[in-house]
Amino acid sequence: MARGSPTFLDRLLHVDRRLIFLFVALSVTVPILVPLGLPVSTTAPTQAAYDYIESLRPGDYVWLSFDYGPSSAPENDPMAEGFMRHCLSKDLKVIVCALYPLGGLGLANNSMARVAAEFPNKQYGVDYINLGYKDGAEAVMRTLGANIADAFPTDVNGRNLSEFPMFGATPSKREDGMVVGHTLGIKSIKEVKVVFTAATGLIGEYWITLVNSQFGTPVIIGPTAVSAPKYYAFLSSGQLKGMLGGMKGAAEYEQLLIKNRPDLAELYGATKLFTATKGMDAQTGIHLVIILFILIGNVAFFLFRMREAKEGGR
Amino acid sequence: MTDPIGTWLAALLTLAVLSFLYRDNPVFRTAESLFAGVSLGYYVGIVLDQTLRPNLIEPLATDFAKNNDLLIAGVLGALLYMRYVPRVGWVARYGLAVYVAYYIGVEFTRKIHGEVLPQMGRTIQPLDQGWSFQSVWAFLNSPGLLALMAIVGTYSVLIYFFFSREQGPVTQRVSRVGIWFLMVSFGAAFGFTVMGRVALLIGRINFLIYDWIYPTFGVVT
Repeated sequence: MARGSPTFLDRLLHVDRRLIFLFVALSVTVPILVPLGLPVSTTAPTQAAYDYIESLRPGDYVWLSFDYGPSSAPENDPMAEGFMRHCLSKDLKVIVCALYPLGGLGLANNSMARVAAEFPNKQYGVDYINLGYKDGAEAVMRTLGANIADAFPTDVNGRNLSEFPMFGATPSKREDGMVVGHTLGIKSIKEVKVVFTAATGLIGEYWITLVNSQFGTPVIIGPTAVSAPKYYAFLSSGQLKGMLGGMKGAAEYEQLLIKNRPDLAELYGATKLFTATKGMDAQTGIHLVIILFILIGNVAFFLFRMREAKEGGR
Repeated sequence: MTDPIGTWLAALLTLAVLSFLYRDNPVFRTAESLFAGVSLGYYVGIVLDQTLRPNLIEPLATDFAKNNDLLIAGVLGALLYMRYVPRVGWVARYGLAVYVAYYIGVEFTRKIHGEVLPQMGRTIQPLDQGWSFQSVWAFLNSPGLLALMAIVGTYSVLIYFFFSREQGPVTQRVSRVGIWFLMVSFGAAFGFTVMGRVALLIGRINFLIYDWIYPTFGVVT
């Protein structure tokens, strides 16, 4: 322990944590106020997810499950909306549901309303549908393997599924008379080309270990960064078609959309809303601050050890 | 459409929670208790409305003769609450026993079929599946090297966790290799965790600026 008045080294070793919080706050706030537009490189799991969606044909059915709540929305919202935009832009038919109890449905409704407004030529019940929330994720998934209507007899507004062309009531015709797609109506999740689960907690894992393993439906996952490491094992074993890990994965997906799909590039360029790409500027800033403080802490610690050794040797 | 009252409430509660960073205080504790209470209340409401009503109460009320088997599940569920009555608390064990047995049965299949077998199958790889010596990077990406690392990593970590036998000089050294593999894995997980927590902070700050401060002061973006 230092004697007398504290030296610069002592001050470095006992930095007030509130000063660190202040630096962290600044490193987040400044890039949000003044976006830096830093480049985002693409990792293999995100590229695989994008390529798989690109390989689907117009009219194919895809499933989007909102398996997260407001607590992880900054990470999961951009990936779910990016996926929905990609699918609608490719004329895929999107079925949305929510299996997370605390706020999953509200987030699904908000995201769907936002994205649907960006595609005014798409029709509810023909191009996309919201099945709403259902409690008991595992039981719901088992039922989906037999009959979707047993798990979700109605859509989110209480209308019977058989009323909608996506579930085989009539051919999938839009108001302009155009027939979209080659598949008319589905019954089971086995007919869906891919399930995308934007997930926190265990529900994402259920889609892989239950729906993929037992029914063979391909799965892409968008987990929170905290749970992303767990899913690398599922990627390696071939049980996942791709993965968007946390905000970084969502930003990578947005960049792929901007690069490859001009309609979506225009949309992302014009949006005032929060996107993962904007968030990555702040991520970079805060990581630099963390690394800087780790370096300062380590240098100060080693200098302190050297000083102690020197004083002890006298 | 933005709800100004909701936005103000959310913003003030966010600031109340963030005030903990300065020091523990009553405002933070109030926000914390409010959050826990509202979440729990909301969850109870969801379970009552989405699980019990459509799966138990409505079927029994509309067609009792056809759905009377649901009474068994209903009674077993009700038995769980008997633990609040000390004299007959032991009855709760029947409901719990059925629940645990059912859950183990369901989870066992899911875990074995969906996790253990596919991942074990992918771990067991031949070592002679390709080695590249053209460059350091190509060598590090050789499928054979990756398979070798999987073998060394898996076995050394398993030996580290094998508590039921005293470790000799050889197993001690192997388990130290296992610790290195674990440290790398924990490091990666920690890095992802930091990224996740930071993402949540970014979301909150973004909300405070663009949904609360800017509209309040009429700033056009």
